[in-house]
Amino acid sequence: MRFFIREDAAAASAHVANYIVDRINHFGPTPAHPFVLGLPTGSTPLGVYKVLVEKYKAGEVSFENVVTFNMDEYIGIPRDHPESYHTFMWKHFFSHVNIHPCNVHILDGNAPNLEAECVEYEAKIQAAGGIDLFLAGMGEDGHIAFNEPGSSLASRTRVKTLAYGTILANSRFFDNDMDKVPKMALTVGVQTVLEAREVVVMALGARKALALQRCVEQGVNHMWTLSALQLHPHSMIVCDEDATLELQVKTVKYFKDIEQVARAQGFEQILPSKIRTGPATVPTTIVTDEFPAPTIHSPQPTTSRLLRATPATEYPVRSRSPSPEPNFTPRGHLRVDSDAQYTVSSRSASPDLVPDRMAERMEDPALLRRLTPNPEQQQLLNSVPRTTITA
Amino acid sequence: MPSLVRSASPRHNGITKLTNCRLVRGDELVWDDVWVSSATGKIIRSQAAFYDELIMPDEVIDLGGRIVSPGFIDCQLNGAYGFNFSTLLDDMTQYGKQVRDLNRKLVRTGVTSYIPTVTSQTSDLYKGVLPYLGPSGSSRRPHDGAESLGAHVEGPFLSPTKNGIHNRSVLRVASSFADLEEMYGAANINPRCPNPEVEVHSPSSSSSSSSNNSSTSLPSSPVSSSSFSSASSSDAQAARNSTIPVKMITAAPELGAMTRLIPELTSRGIVVSVGHSEATYEEASAAVSAGATMITHLFNAMRPLHHRNPGIFGVLGTNTTTPSTTSSSISTAAAAVPAVATSQRQQQQPQQPQPQQQQPGQKRRRPYFGIISDGIHLHPTTVKIAWHAHPQGLILVTDAMHMVGLPDGRYAWTNGEGEHYIIKKGSVLELEGTGGTIAGSAVTLLECVNNFLHWTGATLPQALKAVTATPAAMLGVQGVKGSLEAGADADLVVLSEAAGEEGRTELVVDEVWKFGVRVFERKKLV
Repeated sequence: MRFFIREDAAAASAHVANYIVDRINHFGPTPAHPFVLGLPTGSTPLGVYKVLVEKYKAGEVSFENVVTFNMDEYIGIPRDHPESYHTFMWKHFFSHVNIHPCNVHILDGNAPNLEAECVEYEAKIQAAGGIDLFLAGMGEDGHIAFNEPGSSLASRTRVKTLAYGTILANSRFFDNDMDKVPKMALTVGVQTVLEAREVVVMALGARKALALQRCVEQGVNHMWTLSALQLHPHSMIVCDEDATLELQVKTVKYFKDIEQVARAQGFEQILPSKIRTGPATVPTTIVTDEFPAPTIHSPQPTTSRLLRATPATEYPVRSRSPSPEPNFTPRGHLRVDSDAQYTVSSRSASPDLVPDRMAERMEDPALLRRLTPNPEQQQLLNSVPRTTITA
Repeated sequence: MPSLVRSASPRHNGITKLTNCRLVRGDELVWDDVWVSSATGKIIRSQAAFYDELIMPDEVIDLGGRIVSPGFIDCQLNGAYGFNFSTLLDDMTQYGKQVRDLNRKLVRTGVTSYIPTVTSQTSDLYKGVLPYLGPSGSSRRPHDGAESLGAHVEGPFLSPTKNGIHNRSVLRVASSFADLEEMYGAANINPRCPNPEVEVHSPSSSSSSSSNNSSTSLPSSPVSSSSFSSASSSDAQAARNSTIPVKMITAAPELGAMTRLIPELTSRGIVVSVGHSEATYEEASAAVSAGATMITHLFNAMRPLHHRNPGIFGVLGTNTTTPSTTSSSISTAAAAVPAVATSQRQQQQPQQPQPQQQQPGQKRRRPYFGIISDGIHLHPTTVKIAWHAHPQGLILVTDAMHMVGLPDGRYAWTNGEGEHYIIKKGSVLELEGTGGTIAGSAVTLLECVNNFLHWTGATLPQALKAVTATPAAMLGVQGVKGSLEAGADADLVVLSEAAGEEGRTELVVDEVWKFGVRVFERKKLV
């Protein structure tokens, strides 16, 4: 985790905005290989948007080949409502830069089928090649997007009911009338954020101090969902001095020292070049131009990939390597639910099963009959899913 | 392979985004963008266009912090560039051409809509010219220039003692609506049918037919009813408005049956303005209660404010009907005059409420009022007093004669009674041989705005409101004209602030946009 402490909110915002501009420019996005940016709303990132707009107007960055995905949106308020996140993004960012509307993705809180909207959103992220940089703000209770305390750290884009405290806090934007505040929202999951190749989190102000302490100094805990950031190989936190109030002096000094030493050595903490520039070769397209209304797949057991995340595997792998088995359903659009798409085909995910019953090692043949069914049958059962993965 | 990023669509959508500018929104200047479409001629809701139609503007214009105002609306313009609306030509087709020429020149001053005004004239002249002066914006062609919102007939039902430079011999007294029809031509103040009593009061008869069935004698087809839908309570009435050449009538309410005729006119969507009048405060109040919503060039050609009878000016001073001491005189005035007529009317128009009849003490709308801030018609302090009396009602008008836009000199002019000459010196017009009678003005609306700014200390948006939103509301076209909100017609003026004499700020018209297209751009001084 890279951790930057700046004097005040403006300096922290400028740091993040500069970083994003540098990332985009170094990436050199093209129409076929865009930079995919995940974006938050709220008061925290306002300063970042302001600087980004300034830099766009100064000609330092172009958003022509940038694709954006927003974190969340309320359910049940009109899209052009002054408090909708569509309006927020339009007002503070999209209307001022040269981003094309086709490249903007925001969850539709008025979709007829909200569940399908979520599935489709994940599919769109996949289709865009995954998110290169997810910018996020930190909630007072350590939430990220609308993943409030208790959200699964393996969660994906879904419908969320807002906590009472959030509704109360939001009522200031809705004439202080609790009845007008949306009670539900669509949000990306913690897992969705963590799958981005890089996550940049901002925490500004003393109100965020406790959450920052929990997420940085304490363990991974679903009550402070942003603490899952500790499992991400390329995360960055940028905060102002006020937000460090609850941190140990040692922690603050440690991260400040690291930054100073690195700078003194002329060595910025940077990402591996593979991630900074993206893959040189463009992954074979898996995009179909139109998205048919997605069907809900039967729930799949999700093994949290958090547990597999190590810095060594440049996690998550951007491209699905060409696989003899197409990752397509017969209808030709993406399978979004399968673990298989992240599996590299050159080797199996785990050692092959060698059927071997403990019972066979027994001396007494009578025991053999008293134990489990025939190993041949078992093997047959096991081999069916296994071969689909490893073939 | 298909690219993941779709670049801006190559097809042209005619949308221009004006950015880095300050918009006149209400009483404030707001840093914001405005998106205009030359395809629809309207200001578009940019956020919806972005998310729904996935469109980007064809062109982005950085205005460098300049001010964007809605296009100006002049509610009293007698002519310009040598052409007087109160003129009968031998070949009246030339009249239409002259009007179109004027429109193209006038728009360069920032006036994108106006009310061509015809002074007190003979019936023949009204009948001849009014068909050419009706609403002209229905074709929505940007390069036609300024757009007429309908004609203003300033007379001839005026007080002979407050005639100004109007020819006293043509002034008349109306005793019935038929007198008005006879004077202006029935087709010019009625939607379609020469018999108003049948036509206007038949429920919904004209809503669809009249808009499709414009009289062939009119040079202009009606404005689509949708663009006027916000203007009036009913669509039927909106459709009627659009076909009537006359939009506004200035009359002296104390004469003849004029006060009683006001509801007849307003029911047709015609604005009744009190002016050139000897009306007392009570008479003016009765006219306002009956539905008059405007005062023509306040202070000029009317009784001055007297402390015991404040005259027409007095109706700005209160937003309730008069207190009990004088309410009796009003109620008698209001009740006695239309006693016969209303009983007839009510049989034919049961659906027409009588909104103007109000109880004493109840709030009534104060009228709008025109102010000529040319520095000659009114003392600066007078303008300031009027503004403070009723800031929401103040409308700056030029009352400019056809000499506006021409060099100084001596110009022939007739009010139908012999040849006269008007001497133009700058923006001052005097009738020759009268020892200084003011003969209208020769100011531009922008000069009026600049004077008003200087004299009253009003903020820029407040001053610009007096030539945009306020006149639009007076004419019932709020939200369509005089507005920068989405859905309004994209008539814009780009203004820059220049340092004038004595350090005062002068607005300068840099660009004029009509229906989403730039039709004028000031030459850059190199």
